[in-house]
Amino acid sequence: MLVFIVPLLAGILLGYFLRARKRIGLSGVTFWAIIILMCSLGFSIGSNNELLNSMPRVGLNAIIIALIAMLFSVFFVKVARKMVKVE
Amino acid sequence: MIKHVVAALAFGAIAGYLNNNWGNAVAGNFVSDYLFNASLVLLLFIMGLSFGFDRKSMAKLRKTGFKVLIFPFAVALGSILGGFVSGLVLHINIIASMAVCAGYGWYTVTGPLIIQIFGAELGALGFTVNFIRELLTIITISLMVKFDKYIPIAFGGASTMDTTLPIIVHYCGSDTLITAFSSGFVLTITAPFTIIAIATLK
Repeated sequence: MLVFIVPLLAGILLGYFLRARKRIGLSGVTFWAIIILMCSLGFSIGSNNELLNSMPRVGLNAIIIALIAMLFSVFFVKVARKMVKVE
Repeated sequence: MIKHVVAALAFGAIAGYLNNNWGNAVAGNFVSDYLFNASLVLLLFIMGLSFGFDRKSMAKLRKTGFKVLIFPFAVALGSILGGFVSGLVLHINIIASMAVCAGYGWYTVTGPLIIQIFGAELGALGFTVNFIRELLTIITISLMVKFDKYIPIAFGGASTMDTTLPIIVHYCGSDTLITAFSSGFVLTITAPFTIIAIATLK
């Protein structure tokens, strides 16, 4: 967990203190980092035999359950945002 | 962007499958742990930078404060209720389908945990449901953001602190960074506990 929080906070603080300076373009780095991230995510999916064997066994049921859970999540987030007035 | 992401995912999956099943050319954990974490740490730093640069995002964070915690709470409630409803609709063990959905898209933990508690048959569901949730979040993001930029955060569940975070920030804007990260963070921490808590009902 700390591995993820430290770079995020370091980035925010550094960005905040440097906010008046000239910006450097980071979109190229971001793009390739996302591609590497997705490749390695795909890699761990592809190497996960337990996951690959599970999929055909439960197929359609799993898709339906996932969709219903996602729709309910969206609904509750909408209601919650109205309740506490978060933009 | 999304085309490249899907292509990268597919390429990675094929490479991972081949590597795992026909002679490990690369040590699997080098890619899935080391490379994954390195790119994610770099991305988190860059996303943090652009967030810090952006006056509007910082102002919005100050205004929202701890209210952002309503997001993971709503996603957890919605997911578990979704599990309840789908258990009713599909005539499967309702407690199990609720527990499966309480993985909030985190298949690497939910799968093995559900296998331990409910056995291999429902464990397969634990793996697949949460994997599909993560995959659908990524694939639908460019479409969903047109309706509402918070839909991908609700879809992503626990994955919005790591795998889906950079794509969410890319499509939904820098100001969603803290909302998405904190939501994913809280859900990641609570997932194992809610799964076990729901399982005690069986």
